[in-house]
Amino acid sequence: MPHQCTTCGRTFPDGSKEMLSGCPDCGGNKFQFKPASETADEQPSSGGDEPPATDRQSPPTDRQSPTDRQSPTDRQSPTDHQSPTDHQSSPADGQPAADNRPAADSHPTSADDATAAGDAAAPESPRPDSGTPDDQSVTPNPSGSDPNGSDSEHVRERSEENVAQASARSDVVSPDELDRASRDVESAPASGDPDSDAPAETEGPRPDIDDLRDELNEQFESIRIVSPGKYELNLMELYDRQEYIISLQEDGRYVIEMPDAWGIQDE
Amino acid sequence: MGLLTNLKDSISRVTDGLFAADEPKRIGIYGPPNAGKTTLANRIARDWTGDAVGPESHIPHETRRARRKENVEIERNGRKVTIDIVDTPGVTTKVDYKEFLDHDMEKDDAVRRSREATEGVAEAMHWLREDVDGVIYVLDSTTDPFTQVNTMLIGIIESQDLPALILANKTDLPGSDVQQIANAFPQHETIPLSALEGDNMDEVYTKIAEYFG
Repeated sequence: MPHQCTTCGRTFPDGSKEMLSGCPDCGGNKFQFKPASETADEQPSSGGDEPPATDRQSPPTDRQSPTDRQSPTDRQSPTDHQSPTDHQSSPADGQPAADNRPAADSHPTSADDATAAGDAAAPESPRPDSGTPDDQSVTPNPSGSDPNGSDSEHVRERSEENVAQASARSDVVSPDELDRASRDVESAPASGDPDSDAPAETEGPRPDIDDLRDELNEQFESIRIVSPGKYELNLMELYDRQEYIISLQEDGRYVIEMPDAWGIQDE
Repeated sequence: MGLLTNLKDSISRVTDGLFAADEPKRIGIYGPPNAGKTTLANRIARDWTGDAVGPESHIPHETRRARRKENVEIERNGRKVTIDIVDTPGVTTKVDYKEFLDHDMEKDDAVRRSREATEGVAEAMHWLREDVDGVIYVLDSTTDPFTQVNTMLIGIIESQDLPALILANKTDLPGSDVQQIANAFPQHETIPLSALEGDNMDEVYTKIAEYFG
C-alpha cells in the first residue's frame, strides 16, 4: 500500500485515483508514500507534527529509488515518495492546517506536493509548467464540496504508471530540496530539517548514504541550481531525457516540453 | 486518359522519392563555449548563402538558442551537398553568472544570461539526441581538449554512430596546437582552421562534402 492517509491511516495502492480528491474516509488530504518494498512493517503515521525517532534517516532513504534507473517506472518513486516529505516540510505555509478539512477546502496534496514550499504564496494559481496535465486535472475538486472526489475518479483513463510517471517527471523539486541535496550527509540530519519527519518507518538494509547522495547528484538531477545564476549541468542526464527543458524559473522550476510519445512506453 | 494519369502519377512518385533521398542532412555544430562555433557557422553560411547565422562575441555563451540555417548548398568537385546547419549553444557542465561580470555586465543581466545559457545547453543536448544527422565538433586549438565535456560529447556522438568532423579552430592565434587535438581524438580526423580568418576553409568544405554528402 504505497499511499497512506496520514489522518485516518487508510491505504491506497500505487497510482490510485481515489485519493486525488482527498481521503474518501476522513477527507484528509495528506498522504505518505511508501514503495512496495517498504511496506513490510508499515505503520500509520500520525501526521506532520509527531516525527518518529527514526525520521532523521528518511530523506536519504527517500532518495534511494531514483538511483535505480533501470526502467521508466522507477522514476515514479522519487516524487511520489517525497510527497509527504514536502508537506511536512512546510508547517509555516498553512498546509498542515488543511489536515482535517475536507478536501474541497484545499488542494489535494498529491498534486502540489513537490511545490508546496514554493507555491505556498499562491497555491490557487495555475502552475507555469504547463506540462503536467495529469496533475492539473486532479488538483482542484471541481464540485467544491465533494469530499470523496469520486467524480474525478473516472476522468483519467490512463494507466497507473502514466499518472505516477507524469507526476514524478513533471513535479518540480523545491529550492529547499535542491539545497538539501547538495549538503553534506552529516549536515543534513544535523540541520533539524522539518522535512525529515516523512515516512519515517523505513527499514531493511540501507545502502550507504554517501553513495546514494553521490549517485543522486550525478544521475538524477539534470540541472542543479547552486544559487541564482549558478548552475551545474549533468550532460548525460540532459541527453538521456526525453522531454526538453525549455526554460528555468527563478524558483528552481523547469518548463519542459513533453514528448509526443509520452506514456506509450509506460503502458 | 487514365493511362496518362497513371503514368504521371508514377513519374511524380519516382521524382518524390529522389527528392526525399536528397533531403538535406542536419549538421549540428557542437563544442564548448567560445570555441568559435558561431563564427564557423557564419563563415559557412556567408560563403554559400550570403547570410549570417547569428551574432558572434568573445563573451562566452553568446549563442543561447540553437540557430538553424537551412539548405546550405556546398559545391565540391562538381558535386553539390545540401545541409542544414544548426549552430548550438556551447556545452558546459557549469554556468556561473560571475564569469560574465568580468565583461562589464550588470549582475541582473549576468544572472539572466547564465540562466539562458543553461537552457541553451539543455537544448543543445536535446538536439544532439533527437535532431542531428551529423556533427561538426569545433575546438579551440589554443586550449586543452582533454575536458569532461569534450570526452562526453564525442563519446555520445560515437555511440550514436553520427558522422563527426573535428575542427581545430583558431589556428590564427599564437598558442594554437592542432596536434594536441589530433592526439586527444585519434579515432577522428582533425582539420585545422581559422573560422575568423577563413584559413583552410577549402579543406573544411571538402571534408563536409565527404562526411555529410
